[in-house]
Amino acid sequence: MHFSSNNNIYFLLCPKSHTLSQWALTDSTVHTFTLGRGQAERDPFPGESEHAVGVRAGLVLIWLRKRSSMFKSKAGNKESYMVNWRKDLSVLEGEVSGVYLQSPACEVSLRERDSGYDSLRRRVTVLDRLTQAHPVWLLLSLSDQEVTRILLKQPPGAFLVRRSSKLQKKVLSVRGDDASGCPIFDFPVRENQYTFSLEGSGLSFADLFRLVAFYCISRDVLPFTLKLPAAIASAKTHTEVEEVAQLGAGFWDCTPRQASANAPLQGRPADLLPHGAASQNHGSPPRICKSSTLPGCLRIQSSRALCFVNPLFLQTHHQVQQDVPVCSGSSPDDSPQGIPSKTGGKPCAVPPPRPPPPRCLPHKPATSSMQGSMPQTSASWCAVQQLHQSVEKTSMGLKHSSPKKPPPPKKPNVDSYHCHIALDEETIAKALSNAKLPHGGVGKVVPSPGNLPALSHDQSRREHLEQRLSDISISTSSSDSLDLQTSDEFHRPFPDLDDDYELDEDDYGVGLENDLQLRLRSPCRCKKLKLGASSALFILPRALKGPFQKVSGVFSSLAAPERRAVRKVVELANDKASYFGCLVQDYVSFLQENGGGGGGLHTSGLDLLQTLRQFLTQMKAYLLHSSDLQPPVESLIPEDQIDQVLEKAMHKCVLKPLKLTVDTALHDFQVRSGAWQQLKENLALAKTKRPQDLGVEGAVPPDAAAIDKIRHKFRSMRKMYSPEKKVLLLLRVCKLIYAVMQDNSGRMFGADDFLPVLTYVLAQCDMPQLDTDIQYMMELLEPSLLNGEGGYYLTSVYGAMSLIKNFQEEQAARILSSEVRNTLHQWHRRRTTERSVPSVEDFQNYLRVALQEVDNGCTAKTLLVRPYATTEEVCQLCAQKFRIADPENYALFLLTGETSQQLAPDTHPQRIKAELHSRPHGQPFNFVYRRVVNLNLGLHTDGQNYR
Amino acid sequence: SKMAIRELKVCLLGDTGVGKSSIVCRFVQDHFDHNISPTIGASFLTKTVPCGNELHKFLIWDTAGQERFHSLAPMYYRGSAAAVVVYDITKLDSFQTLKKWVKELKEHGPEDIVVAIAGNKNDLSDIREVPTKEAKDFAESIAAIFIETSARNAVNVEELFQKISQQIPPLENPEVDSNESFKLTRQPPPSNRRCC
Repeated sequence: MHFSSNNNIYFLLCPKSHTLSQWALTDSTVHTFTLGRGQAERDPFPGESEHAVGVRAGLVLIWLRKRSSMFKSKAGNKESYMVNWRKDLSVLEGEVSGVYLQSPACEVSLRERDSGYDSLRRRVTVLDRLTQAHPVWLLLSLSDQEVTRILLKQPPGAFLVRRSSKLQKKVLSVRGDDASGCPIFDFPVRENQYTFSLEGSGLSFADLFRLVAFYCISRDVLPFTLKLPAAIASAKTHTEVEEVAQLGAGFWDCTPRQASANAPLQGRPADLLPHGAASQNHGSPPRICKSSTLPGCLRIQSSRALCFVNPLFLQTHHQVQQDVPVCSGSSPDDSPQGIPSKTGGKPCAVPPPRPPPPRCLPHKPATSSMQGSMPQTSASWCAVQQLHQSVEKTSMGLKHSSPKKPPPPKKPNVDSYHCHIALDEETIAKALSNAKLPHGGVGKVVPSPGNLPALSHDQSRREHLEQRLSDISISTSSSDSLDLQTSDEFHRPFPDLDDDYELDEDDYGVGLENDLQLRLRSPCRCKKLKLGASSALFILPRALKGPFQKVSGVFSSLAAPERRAVRKVVELANDKASYFGCLVQDYVSFLQENGGGGGGLHTSGLDLLQTLRQFLTQMKAYLLHSSDLQPPVESLIPEDQIDQVLEKAMHKCVLKPLKLTVDTALHDFQVRSGAWQQLKENLALAKTKRPQDLGVEGAVPPDAAAIDKIRHKFRSMRKMYSPEKKVLLLLRVCKLIYAVMQDNSGRMFGADDFLPVLTYVLAQCDMPQLDTDIQYMMELLEPSLLNGEGGYYLTSVYGAMSLIKNFQEEQAARILSSEVRNTLHQWHRRRTTERSVPSVEDFQNYLRVALQEVDNGCTAKTLLVRPYATTEEVCQLCAQKFRIADPENYALFLLTGETSQQLAPDTHPQRIKAELHSRPHGQPFNFVYRRVVNLNLGLHTDGQNYR
Repeated sequence: SKMAIRELKVCLLGDTGVGKSSIVCRFVQDHFDHNISPTIGASFLTKTVPCGNELHKFLIWDTAGQERFHSLAPMYYRGSAAAVVVYDITKLDSFQTLKKWVKELKEHGPEDIVVAIAGNKNDLSDIREVPTKEAKDFAESIAAIFIETSARNAVNVEELFQKISQQIPPLENPEVDSNESFKLTRQPPPSNRRCC
């Protein structure tokens, strides 16, 4: 990976889980960028895909800078340093773990008070505060009006995160200030694979909390930083935060604006609102700007933005601000002096102008038409500089004392010094030279001593850190390469194999993970060659020793949010105090006690599996709609990943404990029905057949040794509880079969050749127990995977097994009985209709009710409604849930097709629902809670009670 | 903004030996895209092609052409957006089989499945047994795509899939349904009834 830079900028790579936003936030010289997929596409070196892979995977760039540095727009510059940080970043992290993310408010008050409070205070980080108090600001179901109502009463910077039904996205709504001319800004949240970011920004975060925490400290694309409500920002302990959190959305109604006036926030100088300051200077109107044209983008070759460079960070250092007349140039190309340009006379970088204010979306979608309305002027750049200064001073500038400020207290934030040192360029330069670089460029990066704070003389400490850094840079061992599958971004064939299962690794070169690794490896080689040829590039050999060769560590840590979410669900499932835990535990123990098939509970194995599948699906739906899972899974996992993650979690908490029970039950059913015996006989018969008897023509069928290997793989497959993992092993079997068939001939075999060989293999393996395994996969595999490669080979193995099952009677006719065809038919219909079926309202105790408002369409909520709850009770619940001030004017209606019926107070909505569901060709219906008057005129069925 | 990827299951039908998988291998291997994950074998292949505002990711399911596997075909063509029925222009029998497949698809296949008829081995026209016109007329009679291909010479292979892509109706507005809200209309939705 290349980054042009002058000698003051370093790029470090580290796994995303170690998002260093905390560092970034406490030390203004360190900033963290997680590049999401959007950036991956902006590959500065097209054709070299491992860059894309790496970045796509969400590698974190830690952008270190020392002085005000500027980026070069073309890759003409000489030195770029990169340290590939592997998962062991923990070493460093340990060092800085004492650095807490603090809101400026805390720091200010902290300095004002006795520093003895320090440790106490710092125990609650901004991230902690946000996470714990999320019921206050994370209000996904809030309507536009409610957001406006809440935020208008709040001071600028107040914010909420909700889900806009219009945009179908999460939106960060921020109260604007008077100067911005927009009362409320809406920033849509972009969700890439594994990351969250604001639209228009290149900074991505592992979850919503980190995103919001970052924007509490740094504004990036926002007009100003977010401000935590004073009650949360000033809370001293977790208990205090918890008290606030208890209020939930109600918090906003009991904290009027005055409350925040007493907050420590108000102690800050008036220039705290950068946007306001900027506006005062030139009255710049808010602008709308597309991210791709942001002036502050680092442009490398492709002329597309690699990452967003926040000008805020470009001018954080007082030295430069002192030395350089910030408004001197008429063009932004003027570089501040004091930084020798190594490329010669040309100014070595372009200070990006300030980022535009964000889109203002409350009423209409952003248009680009306004973009030309505000030309880039030097004046605006000047404003940015001032703005930097103020922001720097007030929000994060404790460590880098500006001459205009009193020196920072020595005691607090020693940890941030550590952080600073740990990432200091000199340290890295040393580390680089320790790594025996052949290149002479190292010497050029020795920083001027003036840039190092007092600790720069602390030689021993520095050496200590150097040691650590170089250790990190060379750690390359990792073996959980299975996680590489995450690189198949949209269409991961199957989830990675979990730690808790050991797969046999005697793979004979057919393991999927090997291929995946190869895929990553081969372009890497080209890359290395190219790098080697380019003398202009400077690479740290040890750190880059196959930087993407073993990216698995990176990928596995990328999966961290996913694992975290899975763990959370599993914990919840084990917590019998939660409703979800109860449901899961009761179901699991019920099946275990009743032996799955025993007690006439299920009529067949198929029935058992279908019930199981339904339970899984319903529980997923329940988790999505209930508040059992805190924080909500939407805040941890991008929306398009949620289902997959929940599916995995459900497998863990339901299928895993039931593995033995289900296996036994399936077998029992088979034995009882006589299918087992018949299958055994047919297998024995099929085993005696030669390959050509089974339709094998051109291809070489596997020999006895290969059959042994396959049998071994099938046995491993049986041990898996997860249908996905089973299918993954099935794919390995198929891959091995292909390998044997091709036998180095290079010929590609289609189904004409493969299916007969697969049939032959199944016959030779002679494992009747495979049949229930296939059934298990067919019924439990997530429906969305059925059309992919796994689905294809599962279909094929099912088909081959069906042929064998019917071998005896059909070998003359060579056609399957119509009975089998019907079975297949039914299976398909069942599995495809299921996709649309499950919805939490079908779940017994739930009722989905929509609030219909005159001009605003509908908002639906799923309510907990007992089977015998009356309409009257449901109405009360609705009034409460939808916050209806005048419930007497509202009633519950049943809408079917064109008709609308008001339900009488003593009817039972759940029973009505059940009745409607039971009708053979039931129309779609909805329960709607709405005003009685004015709405129903002209509907002839109105007023007619449903009895 | 990024183009939406749409997965389209495509089923390959036809006698054994007509070159079903050769066509697909040719399609997938030409302009090989390194970003696409390889599949484990040639029976199931994928390829993504742009089409209008969408990206079509073809999930291509090959079937075994032998009679004994005929009964498994429904498993493969069910849920398919398109079926490519292949015959060999040098084998009249394979064209007769094709007609059987088309009939079965009409009777048991997905209602709106796009059917494409591909006469393969166009390069061997000197031993042709199936006249182009006959096949073309047949295709027209069932409103199917018709094209003669040569997997060996890479003739018309890409065109075949382009034609399929064009016949796939674009996705409707995705914002119709969501978890958070839904529209309740007083007016009944526009009638979906087909006129005879």
